[in-house]
Amino acid sequence: MAREFLLPDIGEGLTEADIVQWLVAEGETVEADQPIVEVETDKAVVEIPSPWAGTVLSHGAAEGDTLEVGSVLVVIGDESEMEASAPAAPTREAPPIVGSLSEEAEDLGMPPPQRERTPSGAKALPLVRKMARELGIDLDEIAGSGPDGRITREDVEAAAAAEPEITLSTVWDDETAPVAPPATPDLTSVEKPAKERAAPATREDRRTPMTRVRRTIAANMSRSWSEIPHVTTFDDVDATRLLEVRSALADRHGIKIPMEALVVKAVLPGLEAHPEFNATVDGDHLIYRGRRDIGIAVDTPEGLMVAVVANADRLGVLELASEIARLGAGARGRTLTPDELSGQTFTVTNIGAVGGGHGTPIVPPGTTAILSVGRAQDKPIVFGNDLAIAPVMPLSLSYDHRVIDGATGRRFMALVIENLTEPALFLAN
Amino acid sequence: MLSFVRPDGTTADDLPIEVEVVRDLYARMVEARTYDDKSMAMQRQGRLATYAPFRGQEAAQIGAASALAEGDWVAATYRDAALNWSVGYPWRLLIAGRRGHEIGGRLPDGVNVLPPSITVGGHMIHAVGLAWAEALKGTGRIALTSFGDGATSEGDFHEAMNFAAVYQTPIVFFCQNNGYAISYPVEEQTRSETIAAKADAYGMPGVRVDGNDVVATLLVTARAVERARSGEGPSLIEAVTYRLGPHTTADDPARYRDRDEAEEWEERDPLLRIRLLLERAGLWTSEWQQELEERASSAIEEAVSWAEALPPPTFDEMLERVYARPTEALREQLEAGR
Amino acid sequence: MSQLTLAQALNGALDTALSGDERVLLLGEDVGRAGGVFRITDGLREKYGPDRVYDTPVAESGIAGAAFGMAVAGMRPVAEIQFMGFSYPAYDQIVNHIARIRNRSSHRFTAPLVIRIPYGGGIGAAEHHSESMEAVYVHVPGLKVVVPSTPRDAKGLLLAAINDPDPVVFLEPIRLYRAVKEDVPEGAYEIEIGPVRVERSGTDLTLISWGAMMKETRQAASQLEAVGVSVEVLDVRTLSPLDRSGMAESVSKTGRAVVVHEAPLTGGLAGEIAASIQERCLYDLKAPVSRVTGWDTVFPLKLSEGHYLPSAERIVNAARKVLEE
Repeated sequence: MAREFLLPDIGEGLTEADIVQWLVAEGETVEADQPIVEVETDKAVVEIPSPWAGTVLSHGAAEGDTLEVGSVLVVIGDESEMEASAPAAPTREAPPIVGSLSEEAEDLGMPPPQRERTPSGAKALPLVRKMARELGIDLDEIAGSGPDGRITREDVEAAAAAEPEITLSTVWDDETAPVAPPATPDLTSVEKPAKERAAPATREDRRTPMTRVRRTIAANMSRSWSEIPHVTTFDDVDATRLLEVRSALADRHGIKIPMEALVVKAVLPGLEAHPEFNATVDGDHLIYRGRRDIGIAVDTPEGLMVAVVANADRLGVLELASEIARLGAGARGRTLTPDELSGQTFTVTNIGAVGGGHGTPIVPPGTTAILSVGRAQDKPIVFGNDLAIAPVMPLSLSYDHRVIDGATGRRFMALVIENLTEPALFLAN
Repeated sequence: MLSFVRPDGTTADDLPIEVEVVRDLYARMVEARTYDDKSMAMQRQGRLATYAPFRGQEAAQIGAASALAEGDWVAATYRDAALNWSVGYPWRLLIAGRRGHEIGGRLPDGVNVLPPSITVGGHMIHAVGLAWAEALKGTGRIALTSFGDGATSEGDFHEAMNFAAVYQTPIVFFCQNNGYAISYPVEEQTRSETIAAKADAYGMPGVRVDGNDVVATLLVTARAVERARSGEGPSLIEAVTYRLGPHTTADDPARYRDRDEAEEWEERDPLLRIRLLLERAGLWTSEWQQELEERASSAIEEAVSWAEALPPPTFDEMLERVYARPTEALREQLEAGR
Repeated sequence: MSQLTLAQALNGALDTALSGDERVLLLGEDVGRAGGVFRITDGLREKYGPDRVYDTPVAESGIAGAAFGMAVAGMRPVAEIQFMGFSYPAYDQIVNHIARIRNRSSHRFTAPLVIRIPYGGGIGAAEHHSESMEAVYVHVPGLKVVVPSTPRDAKGLLLAAINDPDPVVFLEPIRLYRAVKEDVPEGAYEIEIGPVRVERSGTDLTLISWGAMMKETRQAASQLEAVGVSVEVLDVRTLSPLDRSGMAESVSKTGRAVVVHEAPLTGGLAGEIAASIQERCLYDLKAPVSRVTGWDTVFPLKLSEGHYLPSAERIVNAARKVLEE
């Protein structure tokens, strides 16, 4: 089998070499590592040994010629192959490890960047450009009132207010309600940025239908609120260990661990001990649910949705983490199936992500309880006889008082707190 | 200059070590030279990155290494493959390293050899620290640092020698004076009569030995090791030798030294004199030589196959080697670069 | 708890480390008998003996290189370089060996050591005694770079640095050594290397700084608060690895950031921080990220220090411009 030996870069960044002398003639045999040719580079005259044993079928260049690095130096094969005038498709050796980078342009498979219709001279901060894009405002068509004619957020808002219909149809689909323009500080006064901007002089009330999602939320909330006698119990938990464990897990596995994953883990033993928290009220019957399908509240642009982690009790923390991440992304992208958005047996809502503390969550229909966790913040806590600073996480548990008594509620909460305080307790499961 | 075996294989005195030891030293020099020749060939074939050959320095390196005990530390240079191999650095890792695979620096557990230092001279003080720590721990281990004549011009040589003497750390400074700092001859590098003479100024003994005489090098190093181990402090050894090959595969010695000079040193070849010594004692035959060469060749070829079959290092490994745990930035770069 | 200066807190950290771990040892110029040029190691040689606290020859490369060897062989050396301008002879050891041995040996050998370097100006010292060249260390993969600005952080971060599996360059703000006292816990505690510390919460503007410049940054924050601006102040504390998401979290809330450092502007860390902020929260920015830094000059001698060091006034002015956007 004929093989081509390509001239390697033998001197740290050389590009070519001159053939000084062939040490093995065409037709002669050569041993592996036997010097085959003497070449001269910019740095030195050196002998190059053959990488293989065999017969020298052809030289790639004559004495005195200059050869580029990477071109065929010599072809080596069986004696029988000598007959053929040119060896058919010799096997190339693997490229030398000291190789060169291709400079050929590649097709990147991407469209050219979108350019603005006119090479506009409009000056605006990225924040303002983003706002204009969302509101469907063409920056070229408004005059900037800022320094150097810069377009400010106020300019964009004023332009948006001037053409509300266009704004609505551009940004929201038909069944989506418009939202009030984001509140922004008035910065005309440097000394004291106002927290809210004064309303434009002429702003009229608007009436729009609720979106389907919003209507569903509204119906469920009303039903729960009117049917279920709610009791909410508040507590705080020292989240030092919880946060340590969370960040250790994240570091070890290189993934984000949503707080919900750990909270679900901490709640599950509570559902075992107090099955009335994992139940459905059906007329005069209480159905203790066999499955542990935990609903996770997800804040989406369309409104609050509850995505359901099926059989949460069969998942480890890492599996929970990835499942919750998947459901969160799916809920926001509206790609979840109806099954993934209903039928939970208990619900966890993390209002900490949006900075929340305590709250009075509403028990979703078909379940008996919901646990809300707030944002962990450093607070003084009593530690033995000392005051210490620790991250304190607020908990709020609402439950159906028809089937759960206050004492049971406390016992459930105590177990959850115990688990969240020392995650080893639930991680061991 | 201390020497024991003359270039013609005769000795000044009766052999002070078992002849079997000499046979073993010879066998190891043959294996080292096989590795060196193979590496030069592989570099010319494009299978190794730049290589720094040690041809001519086998006796110095193997003699010095043979004076050490298991667990002793070695901090050496890119030209010290024979020395490093003699104290447990596997050929396969040395080859992998020269092929540009980082696994080459991952010494097997228990082998206390630092991956070769590429900058000149910085590693001598490392050996001082290593020796210092072992003294504090009371393990009885010592350190040996190997370097060339060129490194003695570095400020780090001064700092290392001075620290070692000041704190009396258990260390051996082993200088292979091979005549050149790339192209710059040792006579021009220093006005000191010898490199060994520099030891005086630091308050430690300095000894000059024929570095092409494996027996003399072993004996001198063994004495320095004994001093270190028994708490008598550091020593400097100047092993006088010669680099028969180029500085590296990117170098052409014909530009700065006469062919005559190299030929003269060929006659003082460290392998040749031991072969003659053994032959005189009736302990060398051409069959044995052939057997040694075959054994060496198969050991090296096996190492080459291992190194060439290694899966290439991954992108993730590159980013995961920087810290004990990747930082936030590295984790993001891991994602971005995958 | 007792009220300690930053210098005393560092001394306490070293004392705690020496007593808790016999692998820990100190070395450096004048760290023994003299207790260090800033007295950070005061009394430790007397307490732990000359085999734990070493006076060394005047040889920064030797100090760093010897500490490297010791660390590889299992000790936990804490080396002191007297001033940042004197650390450059050790730079070769730090960059070429200390920061790289883990990589070079694929984790077989590591150099868990700490190099303490007093840094920064404002004390009217001789040339080379006042610089703030943290960026030259931050740019080196394999190193961690930590800069405390409070006594409590100083002790907790130094103990964390000593116990860290990777080498840490620990920069100590000379100007703050004895400027403030704070309650510092007794005994061992660590403050995690990495996260920024939100020193003050606010909603209009984020001021980002570290080390000695925290003093001027705090003054500026108070002045701005006095006129009703709600300022969030971040003490970065760890310059490598940078807590990029921690800073972005704050700036995405406030929409405005001013980064303050004593080092020269060009190639300084504020550039890296500003780039990282715009990568993460460009569309939350209400104004370009602003930098208040030393000038692109050699750190001046005593009589020109006032020209050089960023003042609270410069920070307030930068904040004002940013708030005008």
